[in-house]
Amino acid sequence: MIEVRDLRKEYGGFTAVEGSTFSVDAGEVYGIIGPNGAGKTTTLKMLAGLLEPTAGDVSVAGHDAGTNEMRRRLGFLPEESPLYEEMTPLSYLGFFADLYDVDDGVADRRIHDTLDELDLEHRERQLGDMSKGMKRKVAIARSLINDPDVLVYDEPASGLDPLTTNYVIDFTSSLAEQGKTIVFSAHNLYHVESICDRIAIMNEGRVVAQGPLEDLQAKHGETEYHVFTTVELPGSVQENGRYRTVVDSMDGVEGVRTDAQNAEGSVVDIRTEESSLEEVFLDLAESGAKT
Amino acid sequence: MNPRKLLRIARWEITKNAGGVDRRTVVVGALALLAVGVAAPYAATSGVTVDSGIYRAGVTNSSDYYPVVAEDPTFAVREPSAALGQDIDLRFDGLAIDGAPTSKAAAAQTELRSSVRAYNNRQMRQEENQSAAFPVQVSLGYAERTQVREVISTSAGQDSTGGEGSANGTQGGGNGTDGEPTARNGTDGTVSGGGGENIGDAASSAGGVGGIAGRLAGGNASGTPADISPPFPFQSLVLAFLFVLPLNFIIQAYGSTMLSERLKRRGELLLVAPVSRFDIIGGKTLPYLSAAVGIAAVIAAALELPAVDPVSVGISVLAVTPIALLFLGATFVGAMFARSFKELTFVTVTVTVSLTTYAFVPAIFTDAGAIALISPLTIIVRNLQGQAIGLGEIAFSLVPPLLTAGVLFTLGAGIYREEDMFTQRSIPLKTLDALAARVRGKWTVGLTTALLIPFVLVAELLGVAVLYMLTLVFPIEISVPMVLVVVVVIEEAAKSLHVYAGYTHRRFGSGLRPALVIGTFSGLGFFLAEKLSLIIQLVGLPQQLPSSQALFATGTGLPTIPLAIGLLLAPLALHVVTAAISAVGASRNKRAYATALVVAMAIHFVYNYAVVSISGLI
Repeated sequence: MIEVRDLRKEYGGFTAVEGSTFSVDAGEVYGIIGPNGAGKTTTLKMLAGLLEPTAGDVSVAGHDAGTNEMRRRLGFLPEESPLYEEMTPLSYLGFFADLYDVDDGVADRRIHDTLDELDLEHRERQLGDMSKGMKRKVAIARSLINDPDVLVYDEPASGLDPLTTNYVIDFTSSLAEQGKTIVFSAHNLYHVESICDRIAIMNEGRVVAQGPLEDLQAKHGETEYHVFTTVELPGSVQENGRYRTVVDSMDGVEGVRTDAQNAEGSVVDIRTEESSLEEVFLDLAESGAKT
Repeated sequence: MNPRKLLRIARWEITKNAGGVDRRTVVVGALALLAVGVAAPYAATSGVTVDSGIYRAGVTNSSDYYPVVAEDPTFAVREPSAALGQDIDLRFDGLAIDGAPTSKAAAAQTELRSSVRAYNNRQMRQEENQSAAFPVQVSLGYAERTQVREVISTSAGQDSTGGEGSANGTQGGGNGTDGEPTARNGTDGTVSGGGGENIGDAASSAGGVGGIAGRLAGGNASGTPADISPPFPFQSLVLAFLFVLPLNFIIQAYGSTMLSERLKRRGELLLVAPVSRFDIIGGKTLPYLSAAVGIAAVIAAALELPAVDPVSVGISVLAVTPIALLFLGATFVGAMFARSFKELTFVTVTVTVSLTTYAFVPAIFTDAGAIALISPLTIIVRNLQGQAIGLGEIAFSLVPPLLTAGVLFTLGAGIYREEDMFTQRSIPLKTLDALAARVRGKWTVGLTTALLIPFVLVAELLGVAVLYMLTLVFPIEISVPMVLVVVVVIEEAAKSLHVYAGYTHRRFGSGLRPALVIGTFSGLGFFLAEKLSLIIQLVGLPQQLPSSQALFATGTGLPTIPLAIGLLLAPLALHVVTAAISAVGASRNKRAYATALVVAMAIHFVYNYAVVSISGLI
């Protein structure tokens, strides 16, 4: 559904994105994470056709980025909610429905259905008088006004309170269940972990790692083996009448087993613990590793 | 461009603020605007009578003074039997006049003397034998002083010869002998003295009679020939002012709405929608253009009340459209470059002052010659004054601002995009972005160069005007080369800046050959546009513009074919060569471009200097 190849964006002499290549399948939720200034927003804006790439290709639903055909298939939610605050939600959404050539009847039904789903009341109130959470819901409703196949969301829950954040993330997750293809960035890695099928980690304008969370953990994270024995071994810690020894490889596990047998004990349990996405992210961000 | 979406955006631009204003306020505001629109022109042309009925005159219908008093609105007619000093200020008894012992009554008697003179003049003008009514007629004509410096030096020490000229009673259309008010012809420079007081304010100022026009013209009451000043074109001033004033308010709102799109990234989502930037810009501009044109139409119609001529109103609308577009275009570009409302204020003030001057001043002096036609408002003023206007004059007046507005909107549209609208990008970079957006290849480079010609001409005009004072200070051997330097810098920049911008945005292929092609097309575009503008001037106004007069006044007839070819090919070669040099530099890097530009300017200067030397100017 989305193809990005050798994407590069320069601002004057500064390179914001360099050589990004990835693809997103239909119905997939693709998360982009990275530290501030990593190039996430620039990448998303190039996907949405807002920014013209300096080099490289972007196609969405078979159309080049920036074409009207592509824009009709895409819903974009920027990090901030740049609304016309003198308008009401209904007039604002109605205006954008017209721009997207949505029939009046369809638009009217879609606007009310979406606002119902988002639990947004006060639809005749001016946007300037609304809370940040309510504005965000209106912005999300606008991104759905054309019933797009592809959603590009930049920090959809940015600056919202925890309750609204969960609401927005759950709503985004429900959109994925409806079959929408979603690309979104977030600072909260828990959200990315919870709803993304695949994840790209960006650093200094480059995609330094990407894939399913498990693959990232396997490739870039660390696995620890917690071996529980009936006897005390050097470096072990007593826990609930057992002794826990932590090693980082299967060879280490075998070594612990041998040591326990030599001490006339035995291994009673082995547990594995893998690096979280946050640990992988921090590790890659600090090391500046490149794929 | 999609007209349906453009109109939808225009409707949205009009209605998006509707939520903040209730309908009653809108209705009241609209009525107030309408009232002002109708009343202002009327008040401006007919004046506001604030002294109506302030003097009370006791007079009967049978008194000889009755028509005098009744026709003067400053008097209120009362019964003569009323108490003098309490109910009436003056009492008329036959030919005797009794005045109350008050200062007001004394003022009433003074006013009465003026009223009697005016009444008598009106009666005289109704006489069939005008020669008997006005046996002595004096016609004053005002001729342009051709040698300003000599006149100034002469007038400093001797009697002024400024009014000497050639007294020419036939110039213009003023003619007091027919007894018609000549206020409309007050700008014509002809005042006839026999017509009495009712000739009109504008004309009367020439004689230092007074009134608003007289004060504006600096006239005084002495009326001696040495003190006579040319009549100030008061009516032209008022008419031009009426049409240019609303534009200054409209651009404030327009600049504000354009800049607000950029604040808080409000316009970002419009850029994501399936509409072109031209739809957005067109849609947001249309309401303000419509307002400008609509107000102009209302003013034009109000000025013609009660007999409104649709053709005349149409001409006013036609003429105001380019000037409105020019105001809006300049404001649009300014709003795209401004980084805050503070900067926008600077922009709108600059636009207001500069464009108002451009539009307003020539329209005041509509009879200054063909040069007055550089302002479209001149067309309006002449039209409303009942003067004939040729198609060539209309084209000469309207096309340049229309073209300039088009270029301004095109340049502004070049930076109506994410990375220029919502970031604090420096003005030089935005300028390069705006120029680069218009160039894609050799043809667009040539076209862009050609479209920049109006700006080149304006910049050169300004430069020459500023440097003109140098001719008063320095000898011509120094001042003329300085003017040449200015011209060279402007023209070479115009031919190469967008080429450099294109290279910074990777619009062209690298290498020497593409650079030479791009430069050639830029030079060609400049040459063709420059010659085209000259031809338009000569063909459109063959007998009026100084340039054409100079050309046709050579007395040598048409140049020989070899000379004509030489005159044609030499500048073509110059522009192509210099533009190609700059383009080669631009294709490398900034430093190479700067170096190449200096070289191109040097060549251009040598060429110009040689031409000027050969022509014998220096």
